[in-house]
Amino acid sequence: MSANRKGKQRFFALSVFFLIWILAIVFRLFSMQVLDYTTYMAKIRAQTHRVEELHSKRGTITDRNGEILAISLQSKSAFISNKDGAHALAVFKKFCALLPISGVQKVAISKRIRRGEKFVWLKRKLTDEEYLKVKPLAADAWTAGTIAFLDEYRRVYPQGQLASHVLGGVGIDEQALGGIETSLDHEIKGRGGRLKVLIDARKRIFQFKYLEQPVPGRDIHLSIAAPLQFFVERELAAVVARYQAAGGAVIVMDSRSGQVLAMASCPGYDPETIWNTPLPVLKNKAISFLYDPGSTFKVVLAASALENRICGRQETFNCHNGVYAVRDRQITDVHPFARLSFDDVFVQSSNIGAAQVGMRLGSDRYFATIGRFGFGRRTGIRLPAEENGILNPPHKWSGVSLAFLSFGYEIAVTPLQMAAAFNVPAAGGFLVRPQILRDGATDVGGERVLSASGSEQLGEIMTAVVSRGTGKKAQVAGLEIAGKTGTAHKIKAGRYAGSYVSSFGGFFPARDPRVTLFVVIDEPQGLYFGGDVAAPAFRAIAEKIMLHLGILPGPPAVSEVRL
Amino acid sequence: MNVRKRSRSALRLAVLAFFIFLVLFIYSSLNLMNVDLGYRQHELLRTEAELRLEIDALRARRAGLLSLERTERIALQELGYQYPAAGQIIKVVEAVRER
Repeated sequence: MSANRKGKQRFFALSVFFLIWILAIVFRLFSMQVLDYTTYMAKIRAQTHRVEELHSKRGTITDRNGEILAISLQSKSAFISNKDGAHALAVFKKFCALLPISGVQKVAISKRIRRGEKFVWLKRKLTDEEYLKVKPLAADAWTAGTIAFLDEYRRVYPQGQLASHVLGGVGIDEQALGGIETSLDHEIKGRGGRLKVLIDARKRIFQFKYLEQPVPGRDIHLSIAAPLQFFVERELAAVVARYQAAGGAVIVMDSRSGQVLAMASCPGYDPETIWNTPLPVLKNKAISFLYDPGSTFKVVLAASALENRICGRQETFNCHNGVYAVRDRQITDVHPFARLSFDDVFVQSSNIGAAQVGMRLGSDRYFATIGRFGFGRRTGIRLPAEENGILNPPHKWSGVSLAFLSFGYEIAVTPLQMAAAFNVPAAGGFLVRPQILRDGATDVGGERVLSASGSEQLGEIMTAVVSRGTGKKAQVAGLEIAGKTGTAHKIKAGRYAGSYVSSFGGFFPARDPRVTLFVVIDEPQGLYFGGDVAAPAFRAIAEKIMLHLGILPGPPAVSEVRL
Repeated sequence: MNVRKRSRSALRLAVLAFFIFLVLFIYSSLNLMNVDLGYRQHELLRTEAELRLEIDALRARRAGLLSLERTERIALQELGYQYPAAGQIIKVVEAVRER
């Protein structure tokens, strides 16, 4: 009996114990699931839910044939997570042994580690070779917690310095620092997104949802032709070196569409190290170099005179044997002439003849033509830092301004403005806006600024400049070229100094223009006339263009063309 | 009679239990499938992104290898070629040939 009772008591005690135990579990579960629901849910979310920032990749920039000029590649950036200064310094030393870092950087990084900064960049945007060298550090037990790598995009320019001024470059954080990278930055950079993910204990993603869809940067196709750009840059650099010039610029345009096939500015730079490049080198001389155009501007004078029919083309002008005074200023010609016909004023590039044509034309009509040819305002090409040029209205002109403006002084232009103006007779009298993107207009458009007959006559005069005038050194066997030379004093500190800007512009084939080309050489030493310095460069580039575009004379008089 | 009733209600319970089990089984299987598909989908997306990056890297490498600067350097320095002098390049005009 007693044993039975004891057994019952034990059973009862055990039951109570289990009941309490079960109640405790139920209460704990209730507390976790109901009372502290939000706290525990937040903890779970923190462990399993994550929002990932998705970085957008900058668009690729290609030339007109799809050759890559700029592309973003994923790369690793190394950093130190600084929990223990002494250990971090030791790890940094090991890193330096594998991947040499400049002395200045070494000191700066060591200082930051000693200061106790928790996150210190070691080297950003490693190349593949560099990453392979230091990758084992992330797996090594001694260094793993201290050194780590982050994914970042690295902008790569596989063609080196090619078209550097057109492309520009980006900074360490992919911020645009010039060229097309800047002007089309809003399209190239795209927009980052956000991804909400659920991760398991092994940190593997098993569910995700885009909170914001990333928009990749748009690919840009330039109008530039890489092979032409290469030859143009080579030729420009050779001329600049030959004449120890301060620099130069060349623009090659498709005469019909205005698409820029090559745009070179010397000196060039490496876009991948744009932040190390001095500011004057970064300047794209083709659009930012302001200069007095000199005799190349006589093309605009001739256009205005022809359009306003101020004289016949055979009418002669008194050239005063090379010296002529307008008020208190003297105008001289390099070669003295007694009288020259209207055509020969331009063919022989007489300043005195041009001044007389200009004075007969009058300031209002001439100013109107200059404005219509696009001077005094940007061409609108989609590149940053394009200059307007300087063009004063007639009411600000002095008594000699009209005469001097007739041969290209008292006005400041950019090489691109000159190229666009030289393209007017090539495009049948239309001012075509230069374009740097391939997918723009493909045929003649723009505003008519010169009649068809005026355009034809101007083309004839410019052809004579090359065949029998100052531009003979631009001649290419078997190719008829229309052009004009220019040599202008350069303004330094507000005064015309003893240095010059030599230029030559033109288009070819003269009767069916396909290409307009403008060459400017800044401060050549020794020879400085446009006909001696810029014209031969024009010829050399024109020969390459002939080969590249397959431009050959119509019915040829010769069986072969030697280039 | 009672035995019959009891066995019928037991059968009902068994059928009910089976359906509950079936519903739970299908529900949990679908959930598992969903999770598995999530893993696979993310893995495929990751692979796609990696392949895209690899393609870009290869395109950049190709562009670098074919760059005119490199070609010129190899031609001039390694192969000893020179730029042709004026008049050395001859382009025969097709129109003359046809005559």
